[in-house]
Amino acid sequence: MKNSLKLLRTEQGWSQAQLADKLDVSRQSVNAIERGKYDPSLPLAFAIARLFGRRIEDIFDDEASASTDAP
Amino acid sequence: MATVGFKEANRRYKLVFWPMTVLYLVVVLGTSWFVATETSAQWVRVVCALATTAPVLAMLWSIIRHTDETDEYTRIRQLRGLAVAGAVTAGAVFIVGFLQMFDALGAVDVFWFGPFYFLAFGLNRCAGLFRSSE
Repeated sequence: MKNSLKLLRTEQGWSQAQLADKLDVSRQSVNAIERGKYDPSLPLAFAIARLFGRRIEDIFDDEASASTDAP
Repeated sequence: MATVGFKEANRRYKLVFWPMTVLYLVVVLGTSWFVATETSAQWVRVVCALATTAPVLAMLWSIIRHTDETDEYTRIRQLRGLAVAGAVTAGAVFIVGFLQMFDALGAVDVFWFGPFYFLAFGLNRCAGLFRSSE
């Protein structure tokens, strides 16, 4: 799943370690999510959305629903 | 299974794992010396063996608790590490077992499969950390 986590993080001027600290996850977790190697659970996705003051769908791009919405 | 967060899980893990590692080293040296120097009764030797095993069981418990309590991605990586270490150790047991069965290998102490499991787990975690830092 594509996401804009890296963009949002760098906009805030945070390192991966700083973001991981705020979310109380490992730096490797943030790295894996940013690289699209790991999709977070709903609770973590909500925590990320809350932290950046966005909706989940603003941060995570569900490519599957985009393709089904297409005419 | 109750997640307490990455930092708290690490704190609770270190609080048990490292003291138990030190205790294990002390106990293994103490009991090895005691059993070697004393012509003790069988039950004393059994007690020494169980006393040496206790810190190892505590270390294993701390790893399992850490797996339960840490964040979701770390849990997945940890479980994979435990599974890979188990598979590698089981593979080693079969290889050594068949080599012995076909008289191609002499006696091997079963004990060494324990440290082998921890080594396989540690190497897998190190490889995972290296990959994620790329």
